[in-house]
Amino acid sequence: MDILLFKIALGGYFICTVGYATSLIIRRVLLARVSTWILLFAFIAHSMFLLLHSLRYGTMLAINVRDALSLSAWALSGVYLAFQLQTKTRVLGALVSPLALILMIVAATGLGGSPLVPAKLQGGLVAVHVAAALIGEVLLALASLAGVMYLVQDGFIKKRRTSGLSRMLPSLRDMDRINHLSLLWGFPLFTVGVIAGSLWAGIVWGSRWQWDPKQVWTLLVWLVYAWLLHQRLAIGWKGHKAALFSIVALVVLAAAFAIESLLFSTIHNFV
Amino acid sequence: MNVILIGMNHKTAPLEIRERLSLACGGDVNPLAEMKKISCVSEAFFLSTCNRVEAMVGASDESEVLHALRSFIFRQGNLTDEEMQSCLYVYRNKEAVRHLFRVASSLDSLVMGEPQILGQIKDAYRRAAEENATGIMFNRIIHLAFRVAKRVRTETGIAGNAVSVSFAAVELAKKIFGTLKGKTILLIGAGEMSELAGRHLLNHGAGRVLIANRTYRRAIQIAEEFQGEAVAFEDVPEILKEVDIVISSTGSPGYVVTTEMVTAALHRRKNRLLFLIDIAVPRDIEPAAGDVDNVYLYNIDDLQGIVDDNMKGRQLEASKAEAIIAEEVDRYEAWVNSLQVVPTIVSLREKTQIIVKGEMERLSARFRNMTGEDRESMAILIDSVVNKILHDPITHLKEESEQQAALPYVAALRRLFDLDGDK
Repeated sequence: MDILLFKIALGGYFICTVGYATSLIIRRVLLARVSTWILLFAFIAHSMFLLLHSLRYGTMLAINVRDALSLSAWALSGVYLAFQLQTKTRVLGALVSPLALILMIVAATGLGGSPLVPAKLQGGLVAVHVAAALIGEVLLALASLAGVMYLVQDGFIKKRRTSGLSRMLPSLRDMDRINHLSLLWGFPLFTVGVIAGSLWAGIVWGSRWQWDPKQVWTLLVWLVYAWLLHQRLAIGWKGHKAALFSIVALVVLAAAFAIESLLFSTIHNFV
Repeated sequence: MNVILIGMNHKTAPLEIRERLSLACGGDVNPLAEMKKISCVSEAFFLSTCNRVEAMVGASDESEVLHALRSFIFRQGNLTDEEMQSCLYVYRNKEAVRHLFRVASSLDSLVMGEPQILGQIKDAYRRAAEENATGIMFNRIIHLAFRVAKRVRTETGIAGNAVSVSFAAVELAKKIFGTLKGKTILLIGAGEMSELAGRHLLNHGAGRVLIANRTYRRAIQIAEEFQGEAVAFEDVPEILKEVDIVISSTGSPGYVVTTEMVTAALHRRKNRLLFLIDIAVPRDIEPAAGDVDNVYLYNIDDLQGIVDDNMKGRQLEASKAEAIIAEEVDRYEAWVNSLQVVPTIVSLREKTQIIVKGEMERLSARFRNMTGEDRESMAILIDSVVNKILHDPITHLKEESEQQAALPYVAALRRLFDLDGDK
């Protein structure tokens, strides 16, 4: 049953990805509207899958790579749908749905049985650590997607090319708000994830902080986002600069994971 | 019956002539009543706007009605014969209907895609209906015209994008701010175009208007019109920190708003987005101000460029609209053809035959015990009853058709017997 739900969700993400892309190409808003409903449908199926899945295997969500990816896709869709209620930002779906689709495809294929967290490391805080960090990262990613679209629309308006694709994009204010809200929620969640991880590390590894490459890089990423949030809230960064730097921050985040998993050996090598 | 449309529009007649005619027709003369007085006219419709005058009639004798229409109505405008020759166009039947469809869809308008014309046609139709000037034909034609206009509006982008400078400004503001609700506008200087733009922004939800003018008294005057607030001209740099949209149109030879002012203001407004519209020639706002992050500067040429692009877009959409119109004209033609007497009689007969056959089959089980002979005489009985009932209507229909007046009867018959299968 839950596998069926997973497949339904996967199919839903696929259909709405195609729908959003087509609506951009032929410039019909109706198609994007339908795609949003399909995305909602996929999201509901996905939620049910996660629920059944966690009931069957206990409360340990996101214990292997497959679950983590699927949970990320779920969070991404959910957060986007929540934004959709508030703002007219259907076009963001054109970026969100393929991302969710890719996460789901990867989750569905090769990595299905890949390394579980060693049994001795499992416990209550692991779920908190993984879930909070993942959803936080998804929100930070969404902030950057909004930032990308902000910069595109900003460029169109500055260059006075306001017909064409610019019509399909949401207003600058909407993009800025999504960027702001995603950062505002994503950063604390990410922080909670890091702290939970650290506390758990104190219990199972005997030390909360080991100067492990993964931990160092994570700290760096955390500092970048802390700085960005500070600039937004205290200095009053808005619009162009905030969008630009939220993209830079995501690049640092992605680079952090790429570098550490390729170049360093770490004791935290399961996700 | 022929449908004949005679009229003039902004392309064929100069404003002065259209003005004379529409004034005359708006006065004591009731054009619909005048048109109905023409002996061969059975239905009439009259539309007069500042860009066109159209008179459409359903009449049996074309040359008589053309002559009468020309003399009755267009004499009202004191037109000379040459003027009438050069300004008037005449369309017949299918082409008249096509013309009306094009007018209703705003393809024939001065600003293609403008929405007012449909409302004007609706008003004209209501007047005609009140005067009992329209009948089966025109009711159908005009309702089809509404339908065509709606299709064109929803299925093409003809009415999509702003085609005036002030609407282009509103569209841009929405692209930046999402909604204009609660936004503050600063008007610097006075001028028709800037006031129009300000008004459009207000109509789209903008909250507050501030007015700055070199002469403070004038600022107060304009502020009253807008129910806004007058502010001192010297305070503009200061005020930049609290407004969202600036429309500038002073006669100043130098810059009224400099990049330096904008940068300083932006810092103090914590980088909130700022939309600057420079309508003045020579320019009021230093062009480099548009390079500052979160500041969007459009001058009059930029806005005009958007309008021109949108206009081109509308023209592209017009060909789609023509296709829709062609489709609906075909539909109209099919309907008109169905109103011929002979096909109506044929379909009436067919319908009764189908009913008789259906009922016989339905009840055949009950007649099992009847002899073949009985069954035959029963069939003959039913047929002759049906034929007797149909005899009078069909005879009268044929008579009317010889006198060219069958149309209402045909239409009524088709409706009463549901021969078109509409409902």
